[in-house]
Amino acid sequence: MTSILEFQNISRSYRKGVPVLDGVTFSVAPGEVVGLLGRNGAGKTTLIRIAMGMLFPHSGLVRVFGLSPTEEPVAVKKRVGYVAEDQVLPARLTIAELIDFHRYLFPHWNDGLERQLLDRFGLSTGSKIKQLSKGEARQVALLCAVCHRPELLILDEPAGGLDPAARREFLETSIQLLNREGTAILFSSHHMTDVERIGGRMVLLDKGKVRLDRDLDGLREEVSMAMVPRAWVPDVAVIEELQGCLGVRLVLDEWHAVFNGNPEAVHRELQAALSINNIRCGSLPLEELFIELVGGDRKEVTAA
Amino acid sequence: MDLFVNPSGELSLYRQIMRQITDAIAGGRLKPGEKLASHRELSEQLVIAPLTVKKAYDELEALGFIETQRGRGTFVCARLPRTNPNAQEDQIREAARKLLSQAYLAGLRYSAMERILKDADRELTSGEKMKT
Repeated sequence: MTSILEFQNISRSYRKGVPVLDGVTFSVAPGEVVGLLGRNGAGKTTLIRIAMGMLFPHSGLVRVFGLSPTEEPVAVKKRVGYVAEDQVLPARLTIAELIDFHRYLFPHWNDGLERQLLDRFGLSTGSKIKQLSKGEARQVALLCAVCHRPELLILDEPAGGLDPAARREFLETSIQLLNREGTAILFSSHHMTDVERIGGRMVLLDKGKVRLDRDLDGLREEVSMAMVPRAWVPDVAVIEELQGCLGVRLVLDEWHAVFNGNPEAVHRELQAALSINNIRCGSLPLEELFIELVGGDRKEVTAA
Repeated sequence: MDLFVNPSGELSLYRQIMRQITDAIAGGRLKPGEKLASHRELSEQLVIAPLTVKKAYDELEALGFIETQRGRGTFVCARLPRTNPNAQEDQIREAARKLLSQAYLAGLRYSAMERILKDADRELTSGEKMKT
């Protein structure tokens, strides 16, 4: 299947020798919903800006609908909707004026969708942008990003700073868009339940690299955590070298190790490999997985 | 029929949907021939990706619980899958032994298990949780 967004070996640094992105490769297929995860500073926003043609990669290739976003910005932006993390809208305009501006830019602007969203968000077009609450401003930004019916919607922290009800409304709107227009969505988020809810796949960035790229069902069923007492296995390398090990972290006196495989299989294999009995295994929600994989600093673990 | 999903639950979302639908069929809340919500309706109602709904429906269809009629929608199969009833009974007896053994180890008496089974029956047929 042709992908509509493709990152090939993307690297970028802001300071020499300190890469923010260090060889990132993945792609998004039409109609797919991909959650982009990672700690603060993992490079999510940088990657999104590269996709939007706002930044050049220092090496590697980015293609949106097969086009370069820096060489053919207009052709790309016509078909993409984008809401930035801290979307700044012109404060002195009214909602109506801002919408008029967008309608003028995009020939395929859909008035029906615009009315529907204004209605649903309960926005009155006469209000000035500067009078809006944070949630309302995000809703206006989303409206401006989707009414030209993009084939790809890129949302950087769409839920940032929104209350749960506003967040849910944002998700509902995204899902409806996906259903009605077949829009693919790439969104970065720290809300793991949002990612689990609407995401089909997640890409986890860690220190500028793709740490994990899996479909979410596979992740739930085929990735598990094993807890092994440190007293029984003092050397972390013994666990790290086992097949299928994705990461190990020390929590009090136990190793928390994430493995490929369902809990029963992992339990069996670990017992056989380490020949000890007191290992516990279980599946783990995304939030736990995130913490296990990118939460602990490896250096502290080895020093401990 | 009202479905719900818990994104951070033990099961993946598509399995949560599968379980609730098979529970409803088992409890008679979904009757053979009854129409199910479309991918799109259910995805918007639950606020989950439509592909997740599709995956749940595809699996249920492969298992013979539901069928898609082109252009008409998805329905509970008029004839539900029956494996060999004797083989099923053996499996269920085995599961019952396991369940009782677990209950006795947890310190429950047989009478408590009777009550628990009755509750489970009511949950399946009414669709309401007795206790969480």
